[in-house]
Amino acid sequence: MTIHSQIDSRTNLILKVSIVWRGVFALLSAAGAIFLWFGALLPEAPLWQKVLITAVLAIASVFSAIGAVQISRRNHSGRMISLALDYLAFVTCIVIALNTGEVFIGIDALAETFTSGLPYLGIVALGYFLSVMDEYFPQKQLGAETSLKVTSRWVMLGGFVLFLLQVGAIKGILYFLGKLAQPLGLASVAGIAIFGFFLWAIGRSESAQALHVKTNHEQILSGWLFLSPNLLGFLIFFAGPLVLSFYFSFTDSDAINTPNWVGFANYAKILNVRFAMLSSPTQLAKEVVDIKIYDEVGRFIFGNSGILFAAADKFFWLALRNTLTFGLFAVPLSVIPALILSNVLNSKLPGMKFYRAIYFMPSIAAVVGISLVWQWLYNATIGYINYFITLGIEFWNNLFNLAVVDPKIQWVSDEKTALFAVIIIAAWQTMGFNTVLFLAGLQNIPGELYEAATVDGAGPWDKFWSITLPMLAPTTFYVVSTTTIQAMQVFEHVFILMNPPEGPNNSTITLVLYLYRSGFQNFKQGYASAIAWVLFIVIFGLTLVQFQQQRKSSIYES
Amino acid sequence: MKKNLLFKAISLIVIASFALAACGAPAVVATEAPIADVPAATEAPAVEAPAATEAPAMEDVSIRWRTRPDNQEEIDVYGKISTELDAELNGVTLTYEPGGTEGANYQDQLRSEVAAGTAPDVFWIPGTDVADFATRGLILNAADLAAATDTFSVDDFYAGPMFHMTYNPETGASGADSGALWGIPRDVSTFALYLNMDLINEAGAPDPRELAKEGKWDWAAFLDVAQKTRALGTDIYGYGGSAWWGPNGVWVNAAGGNFFNADRSACALNTPEALEGLTFQKSLYADYDVAVPYGEDPEPVFRAGNVAMFQNGRWATPGIRTVDFTWDVVELPNGPSGTAGNWLFWGAYVINANTEHPAEAWALVQALTTAKTQGEIAALGANIPSRVSQEALDAFLTFTPPMNNQAFLNGIAADANPTAEGPLWAGSWPEFDKVTGPAIQGVLTGATTVEDFGATICDEADKVFVK
Repeated sequence: MTIHSQIDSRTNLILKVSIVWRGVFALLSAAGAIFLWFGALLPEAPLWQKVLITAVLAIASVFSAIGAVQISRRNHSGRMISLALDYLAFVTCIVIALNTGEVFIGIDALAETFTSGLPYLGIVALGYFLSVMDEYFPQKQLGAETSLKVTSRWVMLGGFVLFLLQVGAIKGILYFLGKLAQPLGLASVAGIAIFGFFLWAIGRSESAQALHVKTNHEQILSGWLFLSPNLLGFLIFFAGPLVLSFYFSFTDSDAINTPNWVGFANYAKILNVRFAMLSSPTQLAKEVVDIKIYDEVGRFIFGNSGILFAAADKFFWLALRNTLTFGLFAVPLSVIPALILSNVLNSKLPGMKFYRAIYFMPSIAAVVGISLVWQWLYNATIGYINYFITLGIEFWNNLFNLAVVDPKIQWVSDEKTALFAVIIIAAWQTMGFNTVLFLAGLQNIPGELYEAATVDGAGPWDKFWSITLPMLAPTTFYVVSTTTIQAMQVFEHVFILMNPPEGPNNSTITLVLYLYRSGFQNFKQGYASAIAWVLFIVIFGLTLVQFQQQRKSSIYES
Repeated sequence: MKKNLLFKAISLIVIASFALAACGAPAVVATEAPIADVPAATEAPAVEAPAATEAPAMEDVSIRWRTRPDNQEEIDVYGKISTELDAELNGVTLTYEPGGTEGANYQDQLRSEVAAGTAPDVFWIPGTDVADFATRGLILNAADLAAATDTFSVDDFYAGPMFHMTYNPETGASGADSGALWGIPRDVSTFALYLNMDLINEAGAPDPRELAKEGKWDWAAFLDVAQKTRALGTDIYGYGGSAWWGPNGVWVNAAGGNFFNADRSACALNTPEALEGLTFQKSLYADYDVAVPYGEDPEPVFRAGNVAMFQNGRWATPGIRTVDFTWDVVELPNGPSGTAGNWLFWGAYVINANTEHPAEAWALVQALTTAKTQGEIAALGANIPSRVSQEALDAFLTFTPPMNNQAFLNGIAADANPTAEGPLWAGSWPEFDKVTGPAIQGVLTGATTVEDFGATICDEADKVFVK
């Protein structure tokens, strides 16, 4: 007797219905794709949305048709396709239903009422306490529940019910149902029911058996199922926006109105630069470049002449210059001290754990908070940094009868020091985290190497140079590359510390700050996307160089 | 088995309830029944109340509104006003949102929400943003609603802001009959000099308030006071002004210059008058060294008692009220043009173009700008009512300290000819500011000369105008 003949009539019916369903699904998807362009479906949708939806519907249609054929042939791939499509559609319908019911934008409402329900959570805690107390009564019979246990459960349940009533669960349910009672909401509920049914129908073990599903097929399916929350999250919240921003970079999107395709215009503007010879160091830019297009970015002076660097978007180039300068200083300043510090903290001296915690603290502090604190410290007139500098200078002047002039550094208001002020904060904050990474790397270095070196007569410096540094190469590579990427994306420190964030004479404008300003303050999302992609290329290039250097120098590679 | 089932069921109920509670109605509870149609009159400026909605609705309409507060006290007052209006407006349930967080300022958050389609029904924007929002179709043109409202008149508000609020970008017309109304100004403000009278007296400098009364308060007198107080010590400054377009523009305006040409379609920062103003401003930092270094926040220095004259708007008053020295305010000194060149700052309540309830939103905007409401907010000391009425001004004078509140009113008086803060209908204000702000800073910090600035600034700044 074949397996096919063992299929019960119910399963047989389900498979037949599933074949029909897959056909209907394929037809509906295809019809949706066609109506999107030739019918009244989503007439206001921008081009990119239409293209995206068409692609999704077309793929769904094709796979659904294949699924129908495979199920009819009793092939397990039909089940896989069917489950995948129905699962994705099921999740989509749930998301649409939640969105229609305004669950996502209603989280704030819960936040506002949550605190009022906290006392009732206390009742739940009391119930839990009672259940724990139950453990202290050993005289109970095995398997029997004490009255205390039962009481505690009801107390917890009652507390939860009261809590939910207090935070507005009833009102929430009514509001949700009210919002759901509109065509899209009802359609999504119907979708949940239909896709849910077919998920169950085709996922049944009887259906699986009828479609010749083997254990490894089930394992693959389970693997994908467990992976799906993360995978969907990655696709929706990371890969999707990434692709979308790439598309936007070729448009004039303002994030509100339908974007127009502008080709490479955004990139062309960014990269449109001119170099021109100057006959004198003070020659005006408009005498050597078309000032209607270009603005002066900087000039390189040598002798009585020089070269003018002008760009169609000078702010991008100023931002790039500042970002690279920031990285050039911030990375060494947050890596080298961290390396030294980790070697000190790696010693067995008493109190080292305390110091490790102290140095790590800045890494977990909120950037906004520490930037505001540093803003006060940096104040040129009443800030503590200048105060102590003044005290120090006065002390040395009095002690040695000197006449050293107090520099009264204008940390954040002088274009010569503003970026350096940001670098100091960033390095200070990143150093602690890098120290912990180095510490982890140091603890992986076998002690035998140091013992052998000691036997060979090596001193501390020799050990550090010949053992510690080479053995730390993978950690160093990781620390340097991540710190570099972080440095190239500097934003919060500048945004909070500087007022205006661009700093004096644009001395602290950075690429992320500029793209943020362009996209969110000047309504130029398309242009901001292009800046983001150029920044991506810069970071990618730097990381690539670091990888190549790592390969050349790593003792592990050789 | 039974136990597992029970707890599974409880878990599911809890999860579902949390999710559903999240989509519950806003936390502000609606009043049981609509009360009055209009706000009651008070001893504060008597103004006709806004029209209520036409007929009592069967079900309350939810309206979210937002304005930028400067401090917690203002948040509390706006919240209280929201509750009051909620009771007064027929069939409307209000939710007030302060907006802005530590990491995202008010405007950035608002723009993001507008883009995402989740912005409130009614919100406040600064005057410089009106054109950007209006031309992109983000805010509702309330001209038709206003035309159907007998109690509303464009002339009830300061003319400068209303020029922009009624500007029709399609026709270029402005005024009551322009066919455009983008909202109603929430309040107005202007600059004054906050005085540390202890320092001024200690330095033996003349009292700026007396000089102002005598009509002798000009740039020379201002510089004299600044120099005398600066001589008190290396850490004492005669003057402090913040680093943004407002303080910079005052000197330019007072010299007879302007940021823009007459029809605001081109840069005018290269005119001799504008450069004269900039030259004087620069001299305060470079030649006379009387000012807190440009770019350093002068407010904490003033509050620490180390600045004699601190230039700021009315919004700084609540903070200054906490200082422990004798202080007052005086109007800005007159420049070569004969005026102080002050600004008329303003921001406006506007209606989200995507609101589902424009009529109710319009009723709210009116209710938020009645004399009574404006009086409640102005009593905090941070704003000046945007309604032009003697009663409103008289009430404002009682909101002391400072004793010399008249200085602010002098700043916005018609004969002081203040320049109304406003958007660029023929260009982008943020872009203009992005170009000119750092360039002016370059001059004031000595990185650029005034001559070089004048020779290049408008070549660059003119690119932000639509030709």
